[in-house]
Amino acid sequence: MSAIALRQVDKTYEGGGRLVTALDRIDLDVAEGTFTAILGPSGCGKSTLLNLVAGFEAPSAGAITVFGQAVRKPGPQRAVVFQEAALFPWLSVWDNVVFAATLAGTPKAEYEDLARELITTVGLAGFERHWPDQLSGGMRQRVGLARALLMRPQVLLMDEPFGALDAQTRLQMQELLLSVWERYRKTIIFITHDIDEAVLLADTVHVMSARPGRMQARIDIDLPRPRSLDLLMQDRFNALRREIFGLIRGAH
Amino acid sequence: MSELVATSPRTAGPRLPSARPALLVLQMLAVPLAILLVWELSGRLGWIARGILPSPTAVAQGWWQWAVGHDAMGLNAYSGTWLANVVFSAQRVGQGYGLAILVGVPLGVLIGWSPLVARLVDPTVQALRPVPITAWLPFSIAIFGISAFGAIFLIALGAFYPIVVNSAHGARDVNRNLVRAASMMGASPLQMLLRVVLPSALPSICTGLRIGLGIAWTAVIVAEMIAVKSGLGYVLWDAYYIGRMDVVIADMVSIGLVGFLSDQLILLIAARLLRWKQQR
Repeated sequence: MSAIALRQVDKTYEGGGRLVTALDRIDLDVAEGTFTAILGPSGCGKSTLLNLVAGFEAPSAGAITVFGQAVRKPGPQRAVVFQEAALFPWLSVWDNVVFAATLAGTPKAEYEDLARELITTVGLAGFERHWPDQLSGGMRQRVGLARALLMRPQVLLMDEPFGALDAQTRLQMQELLLSVWERYRKTIIFITHDIDEAVLLADTVHVMSARPGRMQARIDIDLPRPRSLDLLMQDRFNALRREIFGLIRGAH
Repeated sequence: MSELVATSPRTAGPRLPSARPALLVLQMLAVPLAILLVWELSGRLGWIARGILPSPTAVAQGWWQWAVGHDAMGLNAYSGTWLANVVFSAQRVGQGYGLAILVGVPLGVLIGWSPLVARLVDPTVQALRPVPITAWLPFSIAIFGISAFGAIFLIALGAFYPIVVNSAHGARDVNRNLVRAASMMGASPLQMLLRVVLPSALPSICTGLRIGLGIAWTAVIVAEMIAVKSGLGYVLWDAYYIGRMDVVIADMVSIGLVGFLSDQLILLIAARLLRWKQQR
C-alpha cells in the first residue's frame, strides 16, 4: 500500500467567469519512508497538489488517500512546512515548536525531550526564547521543520520551503534536510522548481508540466545514501540533472 | 526627534552631546511658555477682562484652592473637591470603557472571523455608528434619568464603535497561512479563535482601544455636563454658570491631564501585549 495515493485527481478553479484547470488527472503514488520531489515551473499546480494532500483544499474530482484514509480536512497526521515558514509571530521559537502538542493538550513531560532534541537537530539550541521576527529566513524554516517533526506525522509535506532563501542558506538547509531525513526517515513530498534540489534530496522526482498541470515523467534517483553536498560535483548527479533538464525542455 | 535637529550645519564645530538635550527641551517648551507669558500679560495689562479670562496665576490659585482647600471655606463651593470629581469621572470612564471592551472585542473578533456573525451584526453596527454620541443624550436621559448610568451608557457606546470596528478589521486580516498552519496542527474552531485569530488581531485591537479611550473621555464630559450632578464635566458647566472661569480652565487642564495619563497607561499595556512586534 502506498503511503500517499492520488487517483485521477482534477482541480479546477473559476476565474474571470471561466473554468481554469489547475490539475488534470493526476496519479501519484508515494511509498512509505521515501522522499518524493514534485518538480515543475511556476503555475504548474504543484503547490495546489500539496494543498490537496494537506486537506487545505478539496479536489474537484478523484481520490486522495494517506495510509488508506481519505483526506477530508487538514490534520496533524500530515504536517506541512510552508514556503514562508508561517510561524506565529507572537510566540517564541519554543512555543512555536510545541504549538501542536499544546493544542492537543499533551502533558509537557511527553513532548519536552523531543522538542529539545529537534531544536538542537535543526541547529537552534539557544534561540528558544527568540521571537520569529528576530530570526533570519533560514532560521525560521528550521523552526518550521522542527515544528512539523514534533507532530510525529505520518507524512511531511514541504511546499518550496527553501525557495525564498539565498543560494548559500539554501545549500545549508538542503544539507540539514538530508541529515534530518537520515535520522527520522519520514515519508516526504517536497515541492520545488529547482532541478538540483530535487535530484539532491529525492528518491523519486516527478516532473510536472504547466497549463494544465499534468504529471509528465517520473525519474528514480539512484544516488546512494547518506548523501551530502559533495554529490553536486559528481558525474552521476550531473547526468540525472541533464536528463531532467531535457525532459523539461522537451515539454515546451 | 533627532532628524529635526540634524539640519544644523556640519561646520558648526564639534558636537556637544551634553548641551543637546537641554536645547531640545528648550525648543519644545518655547511655544507653550510664550503663550503663558502673553496670556499673563494680557490679564495684567487689562487687555482682556478678568471675569472672561483669568490669568494663569489666577487659574493656578483657583486650582490650588479646588485641589487642597478646606471644605468649610464658606463661599467657595469647589474647595477641596478636585480629587473627588476626578475620581467620579475616572470611575465612570473605567466602567463604561470596560463594558465597551468586554462587548466590543469579542464581538468585533467574531464579526471579522465569521461571515455569518458579520451578516447578522455588522449592518446594525454600521447603521448606528454615524449617530454621534451627543445625539444619544436625550435618549439616554429618558431611559436612565439624571444618573451615572446615563453617563456610563454614553461612554460605553462611544468607545464601543472604534473597538468593535478595529477588532473586526484585525480578525479579518489574519494571515491565511497562519490559519492553515494551525489547522494542520489540529486546532479546533475555538482554539483557532483564541490562539490564532485573537493574537493576530491584537495590534488592531490595541489601536481600537486607544481611539476608544479618547472617545470615552469626550463622552464622560458631555454626559456629566447634562445628565449627571458630579464629576469634571459637571464642575466645568457649573463653574461657568457661576462665573468661575479660573475653575473652568483648571478643569479643562485637569481633563487633558487625566486623558493623557490614561492614554499613556493604554500605550504601556499595548507595548507589553505586543512586545513580539518591537523586537526587530
